Amino acid sequence: MFRPLATAALALSLLSPAHAEARSLVLAIGGEPEGGFDPIMGWGHYGNPLFQSTLLRYDAELDLVGDLATDWRLSQDGRVWRIRLREDAMFSDGTPLTAKDVVFTYTAASTAGGLADLTVLKEARALDDTTVELELTEPRITFVARLATLGIVPAHSYGADYARQPIGSGPFKLVEWREGEQLVVAPNPYWHGGEIAFDRVSFVFGSEEAGQALARTGAADLVAVPPSMADAAPPDMAVLKIDTVDNRGLAFPMGPARDETTETGAPIGNDVTADRAIRVAINQALDREALVALALNGHGRPAMGPADGLPWDNPEAAIPGNDPTAAMATLEDAGWTDSDGDGLREKDGLRAAFRVLYPAGDSTRQALALGASQQLRAIGIEAQPTGSSWDEIGALMHSQVVVLGWGAHDPSEIYALHHGDYAGVDYYNTGHYANPTVDAHLEGAEAAGSFDASLAHWQAAAWDGETGFGPKGDAAWAWLVNLEHAYWASDCLDLGSLQIHPHGHGFPITHDLPSWRWTCE
Amino acid sequence: MSAVTEPIGAQPARLRTPYKRAARRGTLALALLAAILLGAQLLPGDALAIDATARALPPQPDHLMGTDLLGRDIAARTLAALAQSVQIGLLAAGASTGVAVILGLGATFGRLADHAVGVLTELALGLPHFVLLIMIAFAMGGGTTGVIVAVALTHWPRLARVLRHEAQTIAASDYVAISRALGRSRLWVARHHLAPHLVAQIVAGFIVIFPHAILHEAGLSFIGLGIEPHLPSIGVMLSESLREIMAGHWWVAAAPGLGLMLVALAFERFGEALRQVSDPAGHIT
Repeated sequence: MFRPLATAALALSLLSPAHAEARSLVLAIGGEPEGGFDPIMGWGHYGNPLFQSTLLRYDAELDLVGDLATDWRLSQDGRVWRIRLREDAMFSDGTPLTAKDVVFTYTAASTAGGLADLTVLKEARALDDTTVELELTEPRITFVARLATLGIVPAHSYGADYARQPIGSGPFKLVEWREGEQLVVAPNPYWHGGEIAFDRVSFVFGSEEAGQALARTGAADLVAVPPSMADAAPPDMAVLKIDTVDNRGLAFPMGPARDETTETGAPIGNDVTADRAIRVAINQALDREALVALALNGHGRPAMGPADGLPWDNPEAAIPGNDPTAAMATLEDAGWTDSDGDGLREKDGLRAAFRVLYPAGDSTRQALALGASQQLRAIGIEAQPTGSSWDEIGALMHSQVVVLGWGAHDPSEIYALHHGDYAGVDYYNTGHYANPTVDAHLEGAEAAGSFDASLAHWQAAAWDGETGFGPKGDAAWAWLVNLEHAYWASDCLDLGSLQIHPHGHGFPITHDLPSWRWTCE
Repeated sequence: MSAVTEPIGAQPARLRTPYKRAARRGTLALALLAAILLGAQLLPGDALAIDATARALPPQPDHLMGTDLLGRDIAARTLAALAQSVQIGLLAAGASTGVAVILGLGATFGRLADHAVGVLTELALGLPHFVLLIMIAFAMGGGTTGVIVAVALTHWPRLARVLRHEAQTIAASDYVAISRALGRSRLWVARHHLAPHLVAQIVAGFIVIFPHAILHEAGLSFIGLGIEPHLPSIGVMLSESLREIMAGHWWVAAAPGLGLMLVALAFERFGEALRQVSDPAGHIT
């Protein structure tokens, strides 16, 4: 909701003379965590934990580099990571960070069941103060991504209120968090990474409109803006457009309607989308360029798969879109014809109709649902857009089509989206997709001896020449677009080089916040 | 809102009785209503379709009120939204009036019933209107049904109070007493003596509630508890326009805002005039 008064008050408070002595930075990029700043409960899962540091980190090219770790290697059998820690790392309370803290963090996270999925961790052990071994129950090559996202918490002071008063070895320490309003952080004097150019960084939360209003008053230095606003930056701000793998697509229920429901009583399956011909025809028909123009104001690119352009993507799995003729031929061949002349196809009395659910508060997904619906009507499929709350979507997403979004810097997401074991788990495999061959490829990828060796397996899971989760195979999804994340950034702010962004517009841009510089006087 | 104030002694030559005023304003309001409903019916099938090639266009001959970010014609969308609002308003106001009538007449069924209705009405009047509306709509899970139920359940108290008052007065009159003495049941009395006398108040009450229902439908949709956002709704359109006004797209807000104002105003004035006819003492507010 837009709160002009609150925004105005905030703008005034931010404009006040606090700026005088040293430069402080104001960011309106969202990303407020619901549960606070506890890595064990999932904080930092989508990037930069801010207060904590991680064993490894991704650099701007998405290569893994050491943060707390100075050396890391995986055993021959792929089950034991041995990690050497730097010796100068300190928590913001001045105590040194040792192997004990790492063991504590990993052990706690593996049992906590937060977003940090560490169920594969068998044991974490400290060999000495600076050497840690992490033993897995089975080879899991994507575990390395956990090393880059799980922030280390101090074993000696971690407690129930940690999420609100985080102490870590990261670049910043918490000054104040007013929930729903703003988070203020200051540099951690004990941080091992060098100088930070700002004495304060404020993260202002609130609506998109409020952030834009702050930018227009000059109170905010960096603002995440929706694609529709990308080109309307105020005069002293530059527009940053960042390519992403933050994708949106249509997730199909893969099986026919069943009698059973999920544990929460949600129905499973949909007789229309259970037909592969329908899913393939949708993939063939969609004009994704038009969707980019419509829903993203041109700020994005068509999505052909769940990880376009990343090393584990398989471009071979895609089929060209924007071909209604081919789509209609596919439908005709499969027996979907318009027998009663209402413009809609039927097969054995079943109408080619389903709902496309989108979260009512998300204008981009709404536009995608409307655009896709319009395009599909042209080939005789009725995709009825339905705006709902996430709660309702949760109850319907196993039996209707949903506009979902993903995109991560690590391929474990590919596993969770398509492996039969993840059927109905969270928002992952909503369609209850299960193909033994695909499952075997995915398991093969995780069991690979090295990351490079795993790539071929990931690609085979999408399309191995005979089957796969991609459109050429089972067509479990119809991917639509990859977003472009747009920001307004002060002309004085030097952000260095930026990564390709994962899912989540806003916070991921801070991955290199400590090295940002202010270039004006 | 008050009726048109006319300077004392400046009465025009033809006599403007409250009846004539009500008739004039009623004709206007009903004509507007008919125009909206008819206009929405006559919209061509693709008038509400999205069009990626015509996004955020300012008003021009092809699109008299411009287009929104998805290339939908705003004039057509406003018309469809008003028709939708009018239908929801009629349903919700009708239901609300129904509740008020039942409670108002119910109050004549003995002291206990009267007391219960009195307490219920005062209680409902004491609750913050819009907050209650939001809570009910939220509990119903939003959507069109949620809006109708929420408006229906929040707009009856004032009318119920007036009807209860009137019904009590009539119930205390001699002919009702005679009727009762002749053995007529309370229900018979309510149907044959009370209801006919209350028709004027009921109609006026309905007309007064109607614009409120429309405004509150828009309000609920504006904060995301009403109609699904891709369907035409004034509240949704105004909510979307917030974002676009910042980019200078003023026309996105203009048509739905003016349309809503026009309809609400017309019925507000009609209701006010009717109220003066039926209830010169000003009980219905």
